[in-house]
Amino acid sequence: MTQTRIQSTGGSGNPAISAAFAKKQRSPESILAFYMLLNGILVIAVSALNMFKPYVSDTFLPSMFGLTLISLFHLAILLPINRHVKRGGPAPWLPWVAGLLIATSVTGNLFALLLGLNLLVKYRGKDNLAANRWADVWTKLTRSTMPMVGLSFIVFLFSISICSFFTFDIAMATENNYGAILQHPSLAYPLGTDNFGRCLFSRIVFGARISLIVGFFSTLLPVVAGGLLGAISGYYGRRTDNIIMRLLDILYAIPGILLAIAIIAAFGANTVNLIIALGVGAIPTFARTMRANVLLVSTFEYVEAARALGAKDSTILLKHIIPNSVAPMIVKSSLTIGAAVISTSSLSFLGLGVEPHIPEWGNILKLGSAYLESHSYLAIYPGVAIIALVLSFNFLGDGLRDALDPKLG
Amino acid sequence: MKKRTVFTLLLALMVVLSGCSVKTKTDVQVKDGETATEDTKNQKPVDIELLAMSSNESDTNILRDQLTKNGFNVKLNIQPDYSTFKAQQDAGNYDIAVSSWTTVTGNPDYAVRSLFKTGGDYSILADSEIDALIEKAATETKEQYTETYKQLEQRLVFDKAYIAPLYISLKSQAINKDILNPDSVRLSKSRALTWETIDFNDTSKRDKDSLNLTQIASVLTSLDPIKGNDGSINQLNTNMYVRLINLTDDDVITSDGSLSYNHTIAEGNSEYYFILRDDINFAKIENKKAVDSGERVGADDVIFSLNRAKDKNSVPDHRTFTLHEHIKTVETVSDLSALEGLKTAAGDKSVKEALEAGLDTKIQSLVSDKNQADSKAGKYQVIKLTTTEPFPQVLNYLAHQSAGIVSKKQVESINTYDVAKFDVNKDIPYGDQNTVTEGNKYNNTLYTSGPYILSSKNDYEGTFYKNPGYRKGSEFEPKISTVKVRFISDADSALSALRSSEIHQLFAIPETKYDIVNGDSKLKLVTIESNAVTYLLFNTANRDVAKSENLRKAVLYSVNQDEILQFYKNNKIKAVSTVSPIVKTGNELVADAAKVKEFLNAYRAEK
Repeated sequence: MTQTRIQSTGGSGNPAISAAFAKKQRSPESILAFYMLLNGILVIAVSALNMFKPYVSDTFLPSMFGLTLISLFHLAILLPINRHVKRGGPAPWLPWVAGLLIATSVTGNLFALLLGLNLLVKYRGKDNLAANRWADVWTKLTRSTMPMVGLSFIVFLFSISICSFFTFDIAMATENNYGAILQHPSLAYPLGTDNFGRCLFSRIVFGARISLIVGFFSTLLPVVAGGLLGAISGYYGRRTDNIIMRLLDILYAIPGILLAIAIIAAFGANTVNLIIALGVGAIPTFARTMRANVLLVSTFEYVEAARALGAKDSTILLKHIIPNSVAPMIVKSSLTIGAAVISTSSLSFLGLGVEPHIPEWGNILKLGSAYLESHSYLAIYPGVAIIALVLSFNFLGDGLRDALDPKLG
Repeated sequence: MKKRTVFTLLLALMVVLSGCSVKTKTDVQVKDGETATEDTKNQKPVDIELLAMSSNESDTNILRDQLTKNGFNVKLNIQPDYSTFKAQQDAGNYDIAVSSWTTVTGNPDYAVRSLFKTGGDYSILADSEIDALIEKAATETKEQYTETYKQLEQRLVFDKAYIAPLYISLKSQAINKDILNPDSVRLSKSRALTWETIDFNDTSKRDKDSLNLTQIASVLTSLDPIKGNDGSINQLNTNMYVRLINLTDDDVITSDGSLSYNHTIAEGNSEYYFILRDDINFAKIENKKAVDSGERVGADDVIFSLNRAKDKNSVPDHRTFTLHEHIKTVETVSDLSALEGLKTAAGDKSVKEALEAGLDTKIQSLVSDKNQADSKAGKYQVIKLTTTEPFPQVLNYLAHQSAGIVSKKQVESINTYDVAKFDVNKDIPYGDQNTVTEGNKYNNTLYTSGPYILSSKNDYEGTFYKNPGYRKGSEFEPKISTVKVRFISDADSALSALRSSEIHQLFAIPETKYDIVNGDSKLKLVTIESNAVTYLLFNTANRDVAKSENLRKAVLYSVNQDEILQFYKNNKIKAVSTVSPIVKTGNELVADAAKVKEFLNAYRAEK
C-alpha cells in the first residue's frame, strides 16, 4: 500500500525525484539527502550568476569554493547512507557523519540538519517512543511531494539568505547606478534593473532575508506568548482563564493590520517594530488554539496519573501537557508565517514598512507598480517571489498537519 | 536521470572554476584609484536627518545615495503628505528638508522675498546681507537685477549654504488631440490654464459638449480671490475673475485678455496707469444657469478690489496681502491733461500716448461713472496705481489670481459682518465654498468678472458656465459653454481618466509616464520649463547644520545634479536657487567629493 502511494504522488508531482530516488529508495533519509544535495547545487548555481557582473564581492571566491566542497561531501555520503538505511545494523561511523552534516547546515541548508538529526535519532534510540514518533512524522512528511517542494523552497531561500552575506555584493542592491537605469534582463542583471539602476535580482535575494526574518520572528512572538497564556488559561481554568481570555478578547477585537499600522505610526518603521506590530495582533488566536488543546489533554489519564503521583503543576504543564499540545500550534504557525510575509510586504507597499531603499519584497513591488505598463518585470518578479514563499509555507503547513495527525495513517 | 543531476553538478562546478578569473570588488576599486573609500572607512559617518514627503521619494533616494557615498549616515524621515511634513518641519525634526517653490507670479522678487528675507512668510533665515540684496534687486529693472541676483545666489548658496539646490522641473501637459484643438490649448510658464481660448476640433460641439478638466483638490479654499493662494482655487479663480493685466506664456506682462486695453509705467517707476475696457459685465447664477447681471466691470470695482487685496483686515483669513503690500494708492484719473504732461518710464512718449496706442478711438474724455464709459465715443476710465517705493515688479503681482476684480456692490452686500468679530458658524463670507456646494446650504451669490462662473460643485466635479457678458463677439469670448472640473486626487487615476477620454487635458504628467503618453496616439504631450524649483533647506534652529557652515557646505557639494538629471532622463533642469528659472545668472553648482571631504574634516575639527 505504501509503495503505490509513493509512486502515485511522486509521479504526478516531480518526475525527477520519483524516477531517480523514490522508486528505489524510499526511506526518509534518502529523500532528505536528495533534497539536501539539490539545495546545495541550487544555491551554488544562483550565486554563480554573480560572475557575469562587473565585479563580485571579495568573499565570493572562497565561499563558492567552500559551498562546492560541502556539496561534494553531501554527494559522497549519499551512497553509504542509502546502503546503511537499507541494510540496517550497527555503524560506528554514523554519529560522525551526522555531526559533520549538522555542521554543514551553517550554510542554511536545513536539510543537512534534518538528515543529521534523523540519523542520530535512528542510531541512538531504537526503542525510544519519542524517537519512533519523530521518525514516523518524517516518514509521512517525506512521502508527499508538495510539502517537500514547499519546504525545499523555504530552505533554499533560507540558505541563499545566509550565503548572500558572502557571495552577493550588497552595493549592487542598494547603491544607485545611473548608468544602468531600467535595463531589461541580461546576464549581468538576470532580472533587469530598476529605475535607480539597482540589480533587481540582488534586491530580491537580499529581500528574502528580511521577509524570512520578519515572517519567522513575528510568528515566534505570538507562538511563545500566546502559547504560554493559552496553556496557563486552559490548565488553571476558572478565574485565571476568564481574566486572560477576556483581556485577549479585547486585543482580538482590534483589526490586526490596523493595530500594526498604529504601532508603526507611533514608534516608527524598522524591522524590530515591524515584528512586534505584526506579532502582537496574532497572540489571541494562538492563545485560543493552545487553550483548546490544553483543555483536551488535561483530561487524559496520564495527566491524572501524574497528578496522583504528586507532581507539581509546573511539571505537569511543562512535561506532560504542553509537549502533547504543540502539534496544532506548529501547523498554525507555518500558515501564520505566510500571512506575516504578506503583511510585511503590504505595509512596505503602503509606505509604512522598512525604509524605501532597503530591498524588501513589498518595497520592490511598490516601486515596480509604477512601471507596470512599460517595465512590468519590475513588479512581476517580486510578486512571484512573495507568492512562491507564501504558497510554500501553506504547502508545508498542510503536510505538517497530515504528518502530525495520529488519526491519518 | 541520475546523469542529469551529475551533469548539473558538473556544470555548476565548471562555472565555479571559471570564476577564478572574475574581478572582485577590491580589484575594481584599486584599479579605479578609489582611495577615498579607505579614508571614509576609517572615519565615522556623520549623521544627518533628511525630511521629505513620500511624493519626493525618488529625490530622497538619490540624495540618500549621494550623501552616503560622501561619508554621511542618512536617516530618512518620510511623511505621507504636506501637513505632516510641515508639522515635522515646524517641530525642527530635520537637518535638511526637501522643499520646493513655484514662482506663480513669474518675477524674481517673489522667488526670494517670502522665502529668504528675515521675517518673510516662509523664511527661517536671518541674514542682513541677503535682506539688503533682495531689497536692492526689487527696485531694479530687468537689465540691472541679473548681477544683483547673482550676488544673492553667491551669498545664499555658495558662501553660506543656506540651501542646496536640486533641480528645476518641467511643466508638462497632455491633451486629447482627438477631441481638443491642440493649438487652442495654451501652456504657460506661470499663469494657470486659460480656459476661454480652448476649442473643440469639431466646433459644432461648443454648446453641446463640456470641456472636462481636472484638479487634485475637491475642497476649495475660497472663491473670493484674495482669500486663497493654493492649488485648490488657482486655476478656478484665474478663470472666474479678470485682472488689470496678464502674463503671456513666457511671463511677459501684457494687457491681452485682461480688463485693460493698455498699461504703462510713468517715469520714476512708482506710478502705473491702466486704461479700462468697457465690454465686460459681471455674470451671476440664476437657477443654476449663468446670466448677464447687466452690471459693468469698472474703475470703482478695480479700486475696491485692490484696496481690499492690500488690506490685511479687509476679510478674515486674508491669505494674499503680502503680495500686494507695495500698493500705496489706487484711484481713477479725471484730469486728462495730467496724462498728457507725464512721460513714461521708457521716456519716449507721454502716458496718454502710451495708453491710447492701438485704440480705434483716441481718448476724448475721462469719466468717473463706469456706465458712462464708451470706447467708441472716446470716453474712457483710467486707473492710477502708486507704489510705496519704485517697484516695477508690482505688475507681476497684479497679474496674479489674487488681484482678480470682484464686484464692489455684490461683495459689500454679502460681507456685512464685522471682520473683527467674524464667526465661522454664523457669518457666510463672499466666496464660501458651501454656498456653491450642492445641498441645503447652496445659495450661489458669486458675481464674476472673468470668462466663466462656477454654478455648483460636489465631491466629484465642479460645473462652470461661460460668462454671457464677457467680451461678446471678440476673439476672447469663451469658446466652450460648459467646463467641468473633475476632482481626481491620484496622479495615476487622473492619467487613466485622460487616456479613457473622461478628461481632455492633464497637467503634471509624472516623468516616469512620458513614454506611455507619447505612445498613445490620441494624446499630445507638451513640456516647457516651469518656475518650480526643488531644493534642500537646512535647519537654522536646533541642529548642527544650523551652527556649522562647513557641515552645510559638505552637504551642498555632495549634491550631484548631473545624476538627478540622468535619473529623470533630462526632464529636469539644473538650478542654483529659486530665481534660476527666471534669471539666468550664470552660476552653477558642481558636485565635488574632494571639497566634501575637506569640509567634513573641518566640521569634525570644530567639534
